[in-house]
Amino acid sequence: MELGQCTLEGLALAGDAAHIPDKIFQPFITRACDGVLDVRSRDAIAKDSSFQSVDLAVLKEAYAAVVTLLLEAAKNDVDSNSISSVLEDCKFTSDRIDIFSKLYKDRKPYLQILLGRIGDSCPHIVDVDWRMDYYIKNNHLEKVNQAVYLITLKTEVPGQKDFKEVQFSCTQEQLQDLVGKLRDATKSMEKASQL
Amino acid sequence: MSAKFRMGTDLAKYIQELGYRNELGYQTFLYSNDADIRKVFMFIVDKLPKETVEAQEETLGASILLQRAIASTLARQLSSPWAPSYLKENGITWRGIPPCWQREGASSLCHFHSCRITKPFRTGDITKKIPKELRFYYTKILPVVTNQTLQHNDTAPSVIEENAIEYTQQQEWESEWNQSGLGSRLSEEEYRARKKERIKKKITDQLRQDRQRGGTTAGSSLSLDLQQMISSISGRASTTTKTKGSRFTHTEKLLFAKDEEKVISEVGTGEGPRTKTEEELQKEREVEVGDLREELNNLVSRLESVDMDMRKFTAGIQQMEEEIGNQGRINKEKEEGFIVKKRTLDLLPDAENNITKLQAVVDNSGQRLINLANQWEKHRAPLIEQYRDLKDLTSKKESEAHKMLEEIKEFRKKMKEVADEARNKEELQKQLTSEYERMTKDVNRLAYTKRITEIVANIKKQKKEIDKVLVDTRAVQKEINQLSGKLDRQFTVTDELIFRDAKKDEAVKKAYRYLAALHENCELLIKTVEETGLIMREIRELEDQIESESHKKVLSNLEKISADFQQMKKENAAMLAKLKGKS
Repeated sequence: MELGQCTLEGLALAGDAAHIPDKIFQPFITRACDGVLDVRSRDAIAKDSSFQSVDLAVLKEAYAAVVTLLLEAAKNDVDSNSISSVLEDCKFTSDRIDIFSKLYKDRKPYLQILLGRIGDSCPHIVDVDWRMDYYIKNNHLEKVNQAVYLITLKTEVPGQKDFKEVQFSCTQEQLQDLVGKLRDATKSMEKASQL
Repeated sequence: MSAKFRMGTDLAKYIQELGYRNELGYQTFLYSNDADIRKVFMFIVDKLPKETVEAQEETLGASILLQRAIASTLARQLSSPWAPSYLKENGITWRGIPPCWQREGASSLCHFHSCRITKPFRTGDITKKIPKELRFYYTKILPVVTNQTLQHNDTAPSVIEENAIEYTQQQEWESEWNQSGLGSRLSEEEYRARKKERIKKKITDQLRQDRQRGGTTAGSSLSLDLQQMISSISGRASTTTKTKGSRFTHTEKLLFAKDEEKVISEVGTGEGPRTKTEEELQKEREVEVGDLREELNNLVSRLESVDMDMRKFTAGIQQMEEEIGNQGRINKEKEEGFIVKKRTLDLLPDAENNITKLQAVVDNSGQRLINLANQWEKHRAPLIEQYRDLKDLTSKKESEAHKMLEEIKEFRKKMKEVADEARNKEELQKQLTSEYERMTKDVNRLAYTKRITEIVANIKKQKKEIDKVLVDTRAVQKEINQLSGKLDRQFTVTDELIFRDAKKDEAVKKAYRYLAALHENCELLIKTVEETGLIMREIRELEDQIESESHKKVLSNLEKISADFQQMKKENAAMLAKLKGKS
């Protein structure tokens, strides 16, 4: 985990009892977590009256540093031990380190999901509709007798709420091929999970 | 079949080359037998290179740990049952074993989009004062970090990018400072200011060069371009007004013409010669367009000629200015010459007096010069000495500073190395601890040791028993020996006694004969008993041998071999037949 000088200084501010008193430290960290995670409380710390005793500029700097630390730690999947060593370097007292580690441990999955949502992906198949038509004859041939499958894949596309449908038709062989490919994919997933 | 045989012999050969001691041949593989194959496998497994194990242990680096983490996550996700997407809020569910939050599907994904965010800097530092306005901005206006981006989704990317930027900047600066900053012997601020200046100078130079190059190669075209633009602006204004005017007059004319025509048509035949007027209109338009074009051409040519004139005139002006300067210079020179000449002319009438005066003045000034030179020498010597001393001092200082710089550089390098090492060690320690945690704690060890001790105890017990049996057998042997000795002695004693009496008595003679027979028979009996024992032992050994041989399935093997032999014969015959058929 790599933090800039500015962030480290901000963390030192946050750990200093002269700037952020012990009484409001826990709400302060909680607010920082919520501010990152929740849209509704993104501005909560500025509106909270319990932080009025703190110099606003200091509060904002410390807040920015704590937010950065939380996000970076979640990004690198840092455990509580390493985070406590970072905080020790920033002159946190052991009580504060405990409070911070506990809050961070609780919030880490949420933070990681938040970070995991950043990115792009191919359309994700969630459902499928299908229909089988039996094709008996056409204008040129008296006897065709083939099964034709009409398949509709319902996919999730990043950034869209509704499903996007992908529709195609295929013969039985093609369908078998598709099923074989899907089976291969499942198998390779299983193989990857059994390292 | 022959292929099988060949394969078997090859395998046997290879294994014997590896140093296998026991008997080994193609039959071991063709007509396999559990015990033999087991032995062969034991030998081969022993021979397997052992580096693979060590290598595996060594390459347990970060990448393998990561792969394992991925594998475990995948396994967890695979083990959870499928759920329809409408049961997940934005693709996020609480599932898995053990359950935890996970994201499935792609509906909640968003692109990485970051904005510049601003953080207050050094607000708690009392030593450095920040400007009042900045402080005001920080306290009153600047929103908190999580509220700076337009969309809340962008907060995390922005914060991460901000941190990354800051960190890389720091890193870059450090490396630059280590490389060239320290060598320049400036403080950080000075170095920064100098760098800024250098960059500024570079940019201005570049701009200037570009401009000059443009001026030399395409100067005329550039100026032409400029002029064209200017002329186009001014010209457009004039032409538009003109065309406007003309259009106006044109429409006026048209109107009038129409009116006239209307009048004519009303007055005249009444057939509306509308087509005619259209044609006329067309014609008029063409004519007018031609006129205008001509006018435009005229104007353009006039403009060009005027332009040329202008350029000529400016060139003439420059030339004239230069000439004026030249003339002025010549004039000045001439005026100076005139003044000198005038003075000498003024001095001419009283020549001798004036010459002596001048001589005196010259002498005086010479003396003064010498005086001054002396004085200068007096001042100069100590100054030069001082200068030399100072120079020595500075050079000394410089060398010292140089040394110190080198030392500082070395220390910095060392610092970095140590820090790197520490980091590496820490990482290694983390990896090892995680690996240690991952390892199954050795519960088996105790069981193994227990079993080993049990086995040892068993063996001890067995040994005791064997010892007991040995002692028993020895005792029995002793008894036998004693008994046989006793028997021998008894026999000799009785033999003597009876022999003595036998001379006297017939009956005793008989008894003696019986005794001898008895003794012989008994000896025979003992011998036969011993022999039967031996035979019994042999039988037992043979039985054992038979059993072991029967284990080896010689008969079935023989049958197999003969069957194979038959098959080979057949193959050979078939091949021969084929050969014959071919030939």
